[in-house]
Amino acid sequence: MLNLALTAVVALLFVIGIRRPFVWVLAYLYIDILAPQKVSWGFLSAIPISLIAFILAFAGWALFDDKRDSRFTLRQGLIAVLLVYCGLTTLGADFPVNAGEKWAWVWKALVFAIFLPLTLRTRLRIEAAALIMVLTIGMLIIDGGIKTLGGGGGYGTLRLFVDDNSGLYEGSIISAVAIAVIPLIAWLMKHGTVFPSDWRVKLFGAALIFSCLLIPIGTQARTGLVCIAVVAVLSLRSVKRRFLYVTLAALAVVVAIPFLPASYTARMSTIENHESDQSASTRVEVWKWTLDYVREHPFGGGFDAYRGNSIRVETRKAVQHGSTVTVEVGHTYDKARAYHSSYFEMLGEQGWPGLIVWLWLMLSGLWQMERLRQRWKRRTGEGETWQAPLAEALQHSLLVYMVGSLFVGIAFQPFCYMLIGLQIGLWSYLQRIESQRPQVRPQRPRLIVPDAVAAG
Amino acid sequence: MVDIFALTVPHVALLIALWRLVQRDDLDREGGTEPRPTRPGREPPRA
Repeated sequence: MLNLALTAVVALLFVIGIRRPFVWVLAYLYIDILAPQKVSWGFLSAIPISLIAFILAFAGWALFDDKRDSRFTLRQGLIAVLLVYCGLTTLGADFPVNAGEKWAWVWKALVFAIFLPLTLRTRLRIEAAALIMVLTIGMLIIDGGIKTLGGGGGYGTLRLFVDDNSGLYEGSIISAVAIAVIPLIAWLMKHGTVFPSDWRVKLFGAALIFSCLLIPIGTQARTGLVCIAVVAVLSLRSVKRRFLYVTLAALAVVVAIPFLPASYTARMSTIENHESDQSASTRVEVWKWTLDYVREHPFGGGFDAYRGNSIRVETRKAVQHGSTVTVEVGHTYDKARAYHSSYFEMLGEQGWPGLIVWLWLMLSGLWQMERLRQRWKRRTGEGETWQAPLAEALQHSLLVYMVGSLFVGIAFQPFCYMLIGLQIGLWSYLQRIESQRPQVRPQRPRLIVPDAVAAG
Repeated sequence: MVDIFALTVPHVALLIALWRLVQRDDLDREGGTEPRPTRPGREPPRA
């Protein structure tokens, strides 16, 4: 039944696209985020629906869409440079087979991030892309949220639809992404036109945000807790009653703590004391290894270069002997440990050039969204109040992603490139709108001579 | 059961959104930017 329903939805998206080709772009967003071929087990898993949606989206734009308003921007150029560079490092990768496997999905995410802004020519398209992204990731978030409430969470054990630990189905990644979409949900609740703001939209949005906050608890990913703190602080920029907001937030934390599972609070306490936690200590050692590695390989080792690492990790364990507690220092050896940080992932795999381009892409996004926010925030005219809040929401989403990236290797996570695509689309769209507005210039005072006087 | 619920609710919203989107002309054409501005130096077409 589930299999049939998901197949019907995918088929429906493809059919509607015949009438409105932009729907194929939305279909790609839906398929790439949810991966219905993973969730279902029949027909969908047998055909490359993601690739079909990708081809349809591109063909629909190339053949039927109006391209006069499409612009190629600097940030798309940066993604193109990153794409070419990643292709080159894949050719000379330390682990060619593994690098080839990662390249197989990375190139698609990067090409789509270049392509998406070209299609976002209208305000409704920007909203539609944001809405489909939120609703689709909402499926995973609602699933994880309800299971967390029912006590089904745990580190590495929260099961989202399927037993899969890759992409958005991985605990730390969904934790960071779930918190990163909160600003976007809030924007859709207030400024959406497909679902205009009413009590039902507010109820659904509030429940979805609550579910987002539950994901880091369910996955017990420390990254999520850090991301929640970031989004809470960033929200202070836009809330009207800051004192009330801070009071309510503090109250919510105090009320929530007794309900949190003991395993969660125990795990979160290792954020402060990372030396007692082997996972955190291993990360630090991997990061040191990466810095050593790029000294010899400044242009990176290609995807999955971490497979070459072999590290010695120091562990500390508190042991109680009667009334005294002693700390036993031990050592353990580990190899082929992942980076657990997007910054080190980029550095180790793509070297300094890749890291510089990637940071440029991220920081320019923050800067562009800030410029849009400043430019539009004082406008109150009809149809001029949604732009600044959307720029702010996309900026906050990116900031949360960048902070989450400190502890999770999501440098090439496709969902994040969709957010970047949305940012570029918004920037490009508003630049065009601005350039088409009639420029109001101060009129020079002109001497008007009556006809009778002029005739003499 | 939870999986079915988590898939169904957003899918219903997604299908309603799609239905509303395909009904709207401003999906493909911005109301405020049409008709497109004429090139400088050219007179607008007379009715």
